[in-house]
Amino acid sequence: MNNEANNTKDATAGLPGSVVGNSAGLNRRRFLEAAGFSISLVALGGCGRTPVETALPLVDHPEGLIPGNTLTYASTCSGCTAACGLLVQARDGRPLKMEGDPAHPLSRGGLCAVGQALPLGLYDDHRLKGPLHNGDPASWDKIDGNIKKQLRAIADSGGAVRFVTPTITSPTLQATIEALFDHYQFADARHVVFDVESCSAILDAHEQTHGARVLPHYKFYEDPAEPDGEPIAARVIVSFGADFLGTWISPVEFTAAWRKLRSPTAEHPVMSYHVQLEGRMSLAGSNADKRYRLLPDEYGIVLSHLAERLAESENKKSPPGHIAESSIPAAELKDLVDHLSNRLLDVQPGQSLVLCDSQNVADQLLVNFINNLLGNYETTVDVKRPSRQRQGSDADVLKLIEELKAGNVAALFVAGTDLTHNLPGREALVAAIGKVPLVVSFAERQDDFASLAHFVCPDHHPLESWLDAEPVDGVISLSQPTVKPLRDTRSILESLARWSERDESAYEILKTTWREKIFFPRAQQQSFRKFWNQAVHDGLVMVPPAKEISVDPFNSEAVRLADERPPQDGLSLVLYSKIGMTDSRHAHNPWLQELPDPVTKITWDNYVCISPALAEEEGLEDGDVVSVAAAGISVELPVLIQPGQHDRVLALALHYGVRGTDRYFHIGRQWLESRPTVAEGELVGKNVAGFVEPRDGALQYHRSGVTLKKTGRRHDLATTQIYQSLEVPKHIAPRGAEVRDQIQSTTLAAFAKDPLHAGASAHHLPDEQLWPEDHPKDGHAWGMIIDMNACTGCSACLIACQSENNVAVVGKDEVRRQREMHWIRLDRYYSGEGDDVEVQYQPMMCQHCDNAPCETVCPVLATVHSDEGLNEQIYNRCVGTRYCANNCPYKVRRFNWFNNTEWFDYELNGEQDSAEDSSLISLALNPDVTVRSRGVMEKCSMCVQRIEQARIQAGGRGAPIVDGAIQTACQQTCPAQAIVFGDMNDPDSAIHAELANPRRYGVLEEFNFRPTVTYLRVVKNTDERTPGHEAKGGRHE
Amino acid sequence: MITSHSQPAKPTNDDPRVMRQRALTVVLVIGLLFGAVTLASSMSSWRLPDNQQGYSPQQPIDYSHRLHAGELGIDCKFCHSGASTSRHAGIPSTSVCMKCHKVVTRAKDAPEDGPAVSDELQKLFKSVDEGEAIPWVRVHKLPDFVYFSHQAHVTAGVSCQKCHGPVETMQRIHQQETLSMGWCINCHREATEKGINGRAVHASTNCSVCHY
Repeated sequence: MNNEANNTKDATAGLPGSVVGNSAGLNRRRFLEAAGFSISLVALGGCGRTPVETALPLVDHPEGLIPGNTLTYASTCSGCTAACGLLVQARDGRPLKMEGDPAHPLSRGGLCAVGQALPLGLYDDHRLKGPLHNGDPASWDKIDGNIKKQLRAIADSGGAVRFVTPTITSPTLQATIEALFDHYQFADARHVVFDVESCSAILDAHEQTHGARVLPHYKFYEDPAEPDGEPIAARVIVSFGADFLGTWISPVEFTAAWRKLRSPTAEHPVMSYHVQLEGRMSLAGSNADKRYRLLPDEYGIVLSHLAERLAESENKKSPPGHIAESSIPAAELKDLVDHLSNRLLDVQPGQSLVLCDSQNVADQLLVNFINNLLGNYETTVDVKRPSRQRQGSDADVLKLIEELKAGNVAALFVAGTDLTHNLPGREALVAAIGKVPLVVSFAERQDDFASLAHFVCPDHHPLESWLDAEPVDGVISLSQPTVKPLRDTRSILESLARWSERDESAYEILKTTWREKIFFPRAQQQSFRKFWNQAVHDGLVMVPPAKEISVDPFNSEAVRLADERPPQDGLSLVLYSKIGMTDSRHAHNPWLQELPDPVTKITWDNYVCISPALAEEEGLEDGDVVSVAAAGISVELPVLIQPGQHDRVLALALHYGVRGTDRYFHIGRQWLESRPTVAEGELVGKNVAGFVEPRDGALQYHRSGVTLKKTGRRHDLATTQIYQSLEVPKHIAPRGAEVRDQIQSTTLAAFAKDPLHAGASAHHLPDEQLWPEDHPKDGHAWGMIIDMNACTGCSACLIACQSENNVAVVGKDEVRRQREMHWIRLDRYYSGEGDDVEVQYQPMMCQHCDNAPCETVCPVLATVHSDEGLNEQIYNRCVGTRYCANNCPYKVRRFNWFNNTEWFDYELNGEQDSAEDSSLISLALNPDVTVRSRGVMEKCSMCVQRIEQARIQAGGRGAPIVDGAIQTACQQTCPAQAIVFGDMNDPDSAIHAELANPRRYGVLEEFNFRPTVTYLRVVKNTDERTPGHEAKGGRHE
Repeated sequence: MITSHSQPAKPTNDDPRVMRQRALTVVLVIGLLFGAVTLASSMSSWRLPDNQQGYSPQQPIDYSHRLHAGELGIDCKFCHSGASTSRHAGIPSTSVCMKCHKVVTRAKDAPEDGPAVSDELQKLFKSVDEGEAIPWVRVHKLPDFVYFSHQAHVTAGVSCQKCHGPVETMQRIHQQETLSMGWCINCHREATEKGINGRAVHASTNCSVCHY
C-alpha cells in the first residue's frame, strides 16, 4: 500500500496543474475507490427491512362503512349558479372525485371542468382556518355576540342593511336571509344580487315585454312528454355573442341539449343549424356551422334589420324607429340578414332560438320581439317555468355603490362573491366601504373584500355543508356534506340563524324549510319523512312550480329599432370568462389555472386577444406587452393573436389578478434554468374588472373607444399547442396532400348523399398485417369512439382525467417547455382561408394502437399490450429512456421530468404551520392510481383501474361485465356525451353498434397503427339546405 | 492494486504522506469490518430488497391468532370483514373486539385467584375508554405501485392461508410467503391452468391487472 500510494503520487507529480498530485494521500483515484466502497456499503445496507408501518383501525366502526370502498353521495355542484347534479365519490371519509348525475334533468350526467376541479378546492390549505375579527382569529361566540349587538343597534337606529350575494338558487338560503331581516325588523334592509357575469338586461327586457322580471329557461332540446309526441327542438340557433357552450348561464345543460341535434346518421341525416355572430372567438362560436364577425356594439343594428325583415315576411308590424347606419357594408348586411331570416323562417314556428349576451336592454327587447315573432315563447324560450340561474339586478348594484359612497349603509354583508375584486372603480369603492360601520364577509379565504371586512365568518366548503338549489322552477336539488369540516368554519345558514337567535344546525334549518316551503305546498305525497329520505338519496326532487308565473301577453310597446349609431372611434373591448375561470375564487385552483383555454391553448395567464389584421397593423406578435386604455383606466398585458376575431375587437378575460395567487410563485421552481410561474409577489394575470362599464342601468362587458399601445416589453405565454393549422405549409407540402387529415370533415349535404365516403381520407388504408396472430383479443376488447361533431372542446374531460388519474400540475415554465402532464390533449385546429377560420377540436389521448410503435422500442418492456387491447404503461418497470415518447406518432406520452406530485404539495402551499397541513392537498389523490415519480413515462390508461374494479365487482357476483358498468372518467363527465367506451366484442354494447357508423375513422390509420380509439367524422351544416328542412310540409321526426 | 513497481524512491515511515495512507487504510479496514458485521444478519438469508419474508414484529397487544382462529375456530372474516367486499381485508376496529370481550375478560390460562381482567385486555379496554386507536404494526405490505384487492381473491375462492400461511397456528403473526411478483404470477398461472377448488378461473397475467 505504501509503495502504491507513493508511486501514484510520483506518477502525477510532474503533470502541470495537477492539484490532485500535490494533495498527497487522498488523490482522485483513491477518492473514487473510497467513494465506490462507501456507496456499495450504503447500497447493501439498503437491502434491509422497510420501515415499520402502523395500521390504525377505527375505534368505533360505523355501520355500513367498509374501509377502501367508495361511497357515493348525490349532491349539487357549487361551481357556478347553474347547479348541475353531482355524484360525489368519497373514499374513507374524503371526497375524491366528482361525477355528473345522470338522473339530473338539466345536466343529464355531464359536469364541466370547474365542477370536476371542486375537490382540490376543498383540500386547499389557504382556506381560512376559522373566523376573523379585524384580521385576527377570534372565537365564534365572541363574533356572534358582537355582530348581534351591532345589528340590534342598527335596527333600533333605523340604519340601512345591505346583503350582497351572487344569484342564490337555494330556497333555504333565501329564506334564511329573509328571516334575518324579519328578526331585527330593519327599517331599510335589502338583498342585492350581484352576478359577476350578469344577465340583468335579459331580465329587465322580459319585465318590459312580459310583465315579469324572469330569465327564460332556454331549451335547445327537450324530449317529448309522450313517447310519440313532438320534442321541443331548436333547429335553427342564432346566437349574438352568447357563449352558451362555454360559460353563459348553464353551459353543461345547454351543451347536453344542443348536442341532441348534432349527430346526423346515415338513415336520418338531419342536424340543427347554428349561427354565431360575435366579436371575439368564443367556444360556442368555434362550434357554429356559420360564424360572422360582428362588433358587439352593432348587435342592435343587425337585430333591428332582422326584426324588420321577419315582421315583413310574417306580415306583422315592425317595431318603430329608423335603423342607424353601421360599419358593415350595405350589401354584406343585406346578405347577412337574408341568410338569417331565410334560415329562421325555414323551420316551423317554435323550432328556432335567438340568443344574445348583450347587456343592452334595447338589444334584448329586439331579441324578445324576434323570438315572439318566431313562436319560440311557446317552446324553446320558456318564461312560464323560468330559470333562476341568473337573477342579478345591476340597477340594484349600482344603487348600492351610490349608497356606499354617500355613507348611507350601516351594515354590509357579502357572501359568495368578492365584491371589490369584481366591480369597477375599486379605490373609490374601498374608501366607501371604509365608511360602513359593520362589514361582514362569508368568504372561504382572505379575498380582496374579506381583507376589508370587520368580521370574516368563513362558510364551509360546499362539499362540507348542507344546502339546496332550485336552478329551474320545480327542479330542486340537495347538496350534502361528504366530509367532516376540515377547518373551524360554519355554514352560512347556521351563522345567519345564530344572529336571528335560532340555535339550529344547517341540517335542521334545511329540513324545516323543505317541510314548510316545499313539501306542504308543492309535493303531492303523504309522508314528509319518506319524501325527505328519497330526496337525500336522489339528491333531487321534481315538484310543481312554486307559483304559476303570470306572464302578460307579449307587449311590443317598448321594442324600438336601434336608431343610434355606435361610436366609431377607437377599438372595442370585450370582457369574457375563460372556461374554468368563471369566478375569481377558482383562481386558487391550480388545475383550473393550468387548464389550457380550449380556443387559445394558453395556461396560467390572461392576455389581450387581437385579430391577425390588427396585429399586423400594430406590428405585434404573441407575447408583446401592450397597454390597453379606456377612460382613464389602463392595464398592461401580453398580446395573443386570435384568428377569427373581429379586427376592431380586443378580448380580455376577467377573474385574473386575484389576491393570493402570488402563492404560485412556488410552483415549478425546481431546477437551475427554471423560472417561477409568477414573479415573486406578483399575481397570476391582471384584474381587468376596472373596464366593466356601468351604462344604461347595467354593467356592460363591452365598451368602445379603447386604445392599444405597444410597450416594447415581452411576457412569455405558456401554450400547450405550438402548431395551429390543419393545412401543411405550401412550400413543404407534398403535391395533392396539403391538408392533414387527422380531422376529417364534410358537409351535411355531402354526408346525406354518401355517408361512407364524404370527407373520408384519400389515403390508401393498408390491409396487410405483419403479425396477424398478434393480439387476438378473444375475451374483452376495450375500445373508444369519440364523436367529433358532439365534442365542443369544453375541456371537462381533461380535468376529470386529472382528478381520476392523479395527473400532476407542473407550473407555467414547464408548460412553456412542452412538459405539461395532461393525459388528454384537446387539439384545436384552424382551417379555412383568411380571417374567417373554422375551428375544430379533437381530444387526443393514447390511441391504444394494436400495432403500437411505442411498444417495439421499449428496452425494458415497460409498455406492453394486454390481451384485451390496452396499451399498458408499467411505471415500476419504466427506466425513462423516453424512446416510446419519441416513437409515438400521436405525441400523447408524458414524461415526469421531476417529482411533480411530491413537490406540488409543498411548493404550492409554501411555509407550513404544521406537518399535518403540508399533506392536506395530497388527500385529493386517488388511492387506486399510482403516484408517478421522476423519470417515469405515463399516459392515458383508459382508466384501467375502473375496468379492474368492474371486473372485481362482476366476478364477485359471478356475472359478466355489463355494458355501461365501466365508464372512463372523460366519458362520464362529457356534457355532450361525445365519448363511447366499451367492449367491442360484446354484440349488445353501445360501442359495438357505433363500430358500423359510416363516419368512423382512425387518426393516421394509413400507417397501420390500428388505433383502438377512433373518431366520428365532422359534419358541418353549411352551404346547401339540409334534407331535414324539406320537412316543412309535414315530415316529422 | 494497479500501480507500477518500477519507481525506485523508498519512503520512510515518518513521511507524513505515508502516515495519511496508513490512516486511510485503517479507516477502510474498520469500515469493511463494520459493514460485514452489520450486514451479516441480512447476508445470511439473502433476499431481494423489500422482501419481508419472515417479518414478525412485536404488536402493541400480544394477540394470538393461534388462540382465536385456531383453538376457538373463529372465522377469519368475522374480524377481517372487508375481505370479501373491499380491497382491504381490514384490521378490526376496537368495537369488533368488544363484541366478545365485553363478556370475556380473563386470560385463558389465568389462575383462579388471578386478576379478573388480563393485562393484554387492559390495553384493549384502555383504547375503548380513551377513544384511541390501537397502533397495530403492519406485517403484510405490498409496494405502492401494486394494486391488490382482497375482494377479487376471496370471491374467487383463494383461501386466506394461500398468501398468509397457517395463521391459525401462529402465536404472533409473521409473513410466511415472499409476496414477490414472481410468486404472485406463479399462482395466477397455476389457477388459470388448474382452477380453484374445481372451479375454472381466469387469473390474468396482464401487467395492468396489478399495476396502474
